[in-house]
Amino acid sequence: MKHRPLYLSALIHAGLSLACAAVLYPVLWVVKLSLSPTEALSLSVNPFPETVTLDHFRTVLLASDSAGRWLFGRQLLASVAVSGATTLVGLSLAVTAAYALSRYRFPGKEGGMQVLLLTQMFPATLMTVPLYSLLEKLHLLGSLGGLVLVYSTASLPFCVWMLKGYFDTVPRELEEAAVMDGASPGQVFWKVVLPLARPALAVTALFSFMTAWNEFILAATLLDDQASFTLPVALQRFVGEYKTEWGKFAAGALIVSAPVMGLFYALQKHLVGGLTAGGVKG
Amino acid sequence: MSDVQLTNIHKSFGITRIVKGVDLHVRSGEFLVMVGPSGCGKTTLLRLISGLESPDIGDVHMGGVRVTDTPPRDRDVAMVFQSYALYPHMTVRENLAFGLELRKLPRKEIQTRVEEAAGQLELAHLLDRKPKQLSGGQRQRVAMGRALVRRPRVFLFDEPLSNLDTALRVQMRGELARLHRKLGATMVYVTHDQVEAMTLATRVAVFNGGKLQQVGSPLELYNAPTNQFVATFLGSPSMNFLAARRESGTLSGPGFSLPCGVDLGEVKDVKVGLRPQDLRVQGDGEFSGTVEAVERLGSDGYAFLQTAAGPLVSRFDRGTNVQVGDNVKVCLLSNALHVFSADGEAAILHPGDERPRVEVPA
Amino acid sequence: MNAARTGALALLLVAGAAAAAPPLRLWHAYRGAEEAALEQAVKRFTEESGTQVELLALPYDAFASKLASAIPHGVGPDVFLYAHEKLRSFREKGLLARADSRLVAADYLPNALPALQLDGATWGYPLSLKCLALYYDRDRVPSPPATTDEWLLQLEQLSRPEDGQFGLAYEAGDFYFHAPFLFGFGGTLFDGAGHARFTGKPMEDSLAFVLGLHRRGYLPEEASGALVKSLFNAQRVAMVISGPWFAGEISPEMNWGIAPLPSVSSTGLPLAPFLGVEAAFVSSRTQQAEGAQSLAHFLSVGDGAYLRATAGKQVPADTASHRTDAVKRDVFISRFKDAALHAVPMPHDLELQKMWEPMKLALRGLLQGGTTPEAAGALADRRYRALHRPAPPDAPVMPWLWGAAVLGLAAAGWAFSTRSREPFRKRYPEAWRGLAYVAPAAVGVVVLILVPFSVGIGLSLFHHEPSGAYRFVGLSNFTDILQSRGYAITEPLSFYFTLFVTVAWAAINVVLHVGIGLLLALVLKDPLLRLRGLYRVLLILPWAIPNYITALMWKGLFHRQFGAINALLVAVGVEPVSWFTRFSTAFAANVVTNTWLGFPFMMVVSLGALQSIPQDLYEAAEVDGASKWVQFRRITLPLLRPALLPSVILGSVWTFNMFNIIYLVSGGEPGGATDILVSEAYRWAFQRNEQYGFAAAYSVLIFAVLWLYTTATKRLTATEAA
Repeated sequence: MKHRPLYLSALIHAGLSLACAAVLYPVLWVVKLSLSPTEALSLSVNPFPETVTLDHFRTVLLASDSAGRWLFGRQLLASVAVSGATTLVGLSLAVTAAYALSRYRFPGKEGGMQVLLLTQMFPATLMTVPLYSLLEKLHLLGSLGGLVLVYSTASLPFCVWMLKGYFDTVPRELEEAAVMDGASPGQVFWKVVLPLARPALAVTALFSFMTAWNEFILAATLLDDQASFTLPVALQRFVGEYKTEWGKFAAGALIVSAPVMGLFYALQKHLVGGLTAGGVKG
Repeated sequence: MSDVQLTNIHKSFGITRIVKGVDLHVRSGEFLVMVGPSGCGKTTLLRLISGLESPDIGDVHMGGVRVTDTPPRDRDVAMVFQSYALYPHMTVRENLAFGLELRKLPRKEIQTRVEEAAGQLELAHLLDRKPKQLSGGQRQRVAMGRALVRRPRVFLFDEPLSNLDTALRVQMRGELARLHRKLGATMVYVTHDQVEAMTLATRVAVFNGGKLQQVGSPLELYNAPTNQFVATFLGSPSMNFLAARRESGTLSGPGFSLPCGVDLGEVKDVKVGLRPQDLRVQGDGEFSGTVEAVERLGSDGYAFLQTAAGPLVSRFDRGTNVQVGDNVKVCLLSNALHVFSADGEAAILHPGDERPRVEVPA
Repeated sequence: MNAARTGALALLLVAGAAAAAPPLRLWHAYRGAEEAALEQAVKRFTEESGTQVELLALPYDAFASKLASAIPHGVGPDVFLYAHEKLRSFREKGLLARADSRLVAADYLPNALPALQLDGATWGYPLSLKCLALYYDRDRVPSPPATTDEWLLQLEQLSRPEDGQFGLAYEAGDFYFHAPFLFGFGGTLFDGAGHARFTGKPMEDSLAFVLGLHRRGYLPEEASGALVKSLFNAQRVAMVISGPWFAGEISPEMNWGIAPLPSVSSTGLPLAPFLGVEAAFVSSRTQQAEGAQSLAHFLSVGDGAYLRATAGKQVPADTASHRTDAVKRDVFISRFKDAALHAVPMPHDLELQKMWEPMKLALRGLLQGGTTPEAAGALADRRYRALHRPAPPDAPVMPWLWGAAVLGLAAAGWAFSTRSREPFRKRYPEAWRGLAYVAPAAVGVVVLILVPFSVGIGLSLFHHEPSGAYRFVGLSNFTDILQSRGYAITEPLSFYFTLFVTVAWAAINVVLHVGIGLLLALVLKDPLLRLRGLYRVLLILPWAIPNYITALMWKGLFHRQFGAINALLVAVGVEPVSWFTRFSTAFAANVVTNTWLGFPFMMVVSLGALQSIPQDLYEAAEVDGASKWVQFRRITLPLLRPALLPSVILGSVWTFNMFNIIYLVSGGEPGGATDILVSEAYRWAFQRNEQYGFAAAYSVLIFAVLWLYTTATKRLTATEAA
């Protein structure tokens, strides 16, 4: 590869730094808000806190209820449980369905794919009301399990589409080779197809996890115990009828966002490959 | 016993009929090469033997046992794919061991077999690499090794050498022949390369349009092709065909007349088949034409002529000076005349025949 | 013997059940000191009665809808705390039980109980009162004004707008804060027929008065709660109109007082604020009516009220606690009690619900848009009429049923006639395995997505009554929307205008997402670029942040007075922009926010797509002498297109329905102009008297538009490829 002239290099780095600054600036404001002693905004260009206090973080992290239960801990646990279970359930549902859609011929397949795409188009906000009645009939109200089911199906259409696209790119001959090697259909799937689909699985898992981790409207509506609220619901409690506690909200927002950021960081290598192969075949 | 018997096999995909009634017996221990143009059904037949596909009609027997509905893993066959189909997430060692692990062989046994195969194929130093880090030839050898470690009754090869360059291909061809001699296993090999067919095969099966055209030893097929298709397919350059008319003892067409010592019966119109190797550019001969192109191979060469009867390819010897644009004469070596029916469907006469093979009405 | 034993066992079971009666469930949305006080009061209740109580604190935003969902299904609380303004809505949905004989009128302040009365009964136990009063800075306002004339004099002296000094600050754009002026000038909310009223002299006078305050520079521009608080704490404003919640926001250095709002000099009437009565309501579906009633009652009087006043700083609605020394000594509570005595209980009539949006429009027009008071009233009236949608007439159901039956038969016939002649086993050799693999996901999707989805579509043919009943109205909802009844198609609130905004919104966003994403991807794909990994990690960041947090964050950045964006503008010498008062800037703010959060996805997709283009194509082009630009246009773009297309389609569908950003950043400002179809649907469903059917019709139209769009895109690309 040829060497780039110096001025071009400088230009590229300047542009990228600018983009990064634009990305970081608002985030720094949230950090500042969470570390500043006041609850208020103040007019300033400087995104760095002038005085630093961990009070907001302390309040958020040490929250407990009247019974002395450590709320934050329990809510974190609930969030992790719900999101983890959603990822697991959503992924296993999506993987099997996507594999079948990619490999087998059966009646209703094309229609099914279309329906999955269509579900992305109906505004979700308006499904809450019927969904509530439905979950009540299924005796799933107030349980984390019900929430897990709802979340994992909510992210299902996207996950299935992406995984199907990825499976389409896995050469059939590899599976046939495994069959010739004596693998049962299950072994072909577990030992050959799944390991190959790792990037797509990572991305799908990330999406399922994020869906569950960030959602609060359904969680607030469906759950009936403060200790099993997920973190976004707890976060939403800082937005009140008359005023919002911005400092605590910002601290909470950072705490809620941190795990997802970590996941993104850990999975970013897979992100590119996982998304594309699915996208290419779409 | 590890022979394979295909009986009246039919197979179609959607509305396309790929295999239209094939009977074929692969003898135990032989190296059978299936050749034919693409789409002739040879690969499908291989997959039917492997169990990856099942026939619409017909049966597959192995070692005398019906295996038509048996899944691949219970057929004790191994297959080498054209694309090699190596598992990209496994090392060479894991690739080789995979089939054995699935069969729950003892760890020690697996290790012995893998190392033995690796030694045979000179893969020992590559065992811990991933397929991505190998060259084309090395990958090909891993693919072979994967079949080898299994020690199956039947080896199936689906154009395994087509992705290699010429030199490697020659080398691997030799290696395959050696393997077959050593293992004595039944091998079924699909290719569209007639050189591979001629050099490797115990017997060759030629397919066209979903039907078996002829099966026999390479020389049988070369010397006595059963129809124009088989004659064209084997031998390079291909056999020449000229339309001719039988008049008493001669076969003649525009600008040529060939004596025919055998009584061909009532038939009037035929095609004569002349292998370029049986023709010589000489000072005098039965054919004359203009040289349009010349292929020199060193020791000898081929001249591509336009004659009154149509295009003709003829060999010439090293000493002969042939130039494009020359008008030359070509003669047919004695006892080298093939005669086919006018539609090319049947061979009437091959060199050395005492009487016509079929009676073709006038 | 055996029977006796069984009998004994049953008895034991019954006894056990009685002893372990489930705790009473109490739901609320209190926070901070109020929550702590409530917890103490509940603890006291348990000590006295022996009944356990389970508290559930909910986010305010989700509270009302959760109550409405949970109680009818029998899974709600036994007692819940809410402001009385929702009384009628709760009552019509049948969520409430009457307060029983425990409730004694004399126990409460005189205007607390009427707020909770409806249909000749009282429906809750009043807990606390909330209304507006005048906070003033004692250092600069020695005595609070008694009349508006006095007030105007003081304001004139206290205001120096050129120095950023104002006499008064309050959230002038909110009708809740304007209501005292309306009442002070002799206005009423409703006309004789009970309809909301936006015109007439009192309304105009009140608007003119506020406009006068504004024109003379007594009020800061676009005061939000945050601005009011910060100005007061910075001693840049001397007086503030606000409620009890404001006290906690004042910095401890301030020397401040509270007074009732002054009277209007010309009418002699007090500026009477709305009175909000927070009450303990007993659920209609409680299984333990006795315990629930006694808990609700306990909280409203005696120790309950006393604790809430002393520990929670609430203004209790009962009289007894106001006679205690501790409460009497609390100036804050007693002043608010005085203010509350003048206050007008907020009507729980549904008609009031329809006033907020029009009045907000009028006030914003008046204070920011230069509308005259008369025109502002008329503006509100017009919006009211558009929102005040009379229920469509019932439609006969039978023709629809017949139509559905005929359609179903036709579909079945068609399916049968087009059935392939090929035998099933042959055509689908692995059908059973495939179906088995798909089944779990399919069941999930059908039950949890398609069923609610079909219900949603079905709802669009119904009209939802405030009482919760549905009436079949055929296609009326659709004809109403598509005829854009009452509004020209070029005005906000008409379907076509909103559709146009939505399409522009989606298109601009997708172009920006793809453009920025692709540009960055082109730069970042170079493996030799230094710091490539770092750039990539940083640039992906917005994707990892939940979008409601992003939205609130950017809303803060766009804040008129405290936003960093305006600070940046000021720093480079540009006038600060009032982002949400004009369509163009509000729309731009939305777009900036959504672009910020949306480009990383496209960047990652583009990066992958770029990697899939074989490098030798570029080398070939290089040999052919193609410049970088030509290479990009003739190789990169065409090869990228198929790879990006699915993501672009998906991205535009997501953006089309990107509710959170619109709702949280611009909130539809100004006047609903930046609302997109989804947020409009949401408003009809949840902010305009629960017109679920109408909202569902909107959703169906959204769905139809998107369906057309994706089909057309696919068709186009398919023909192009062919």
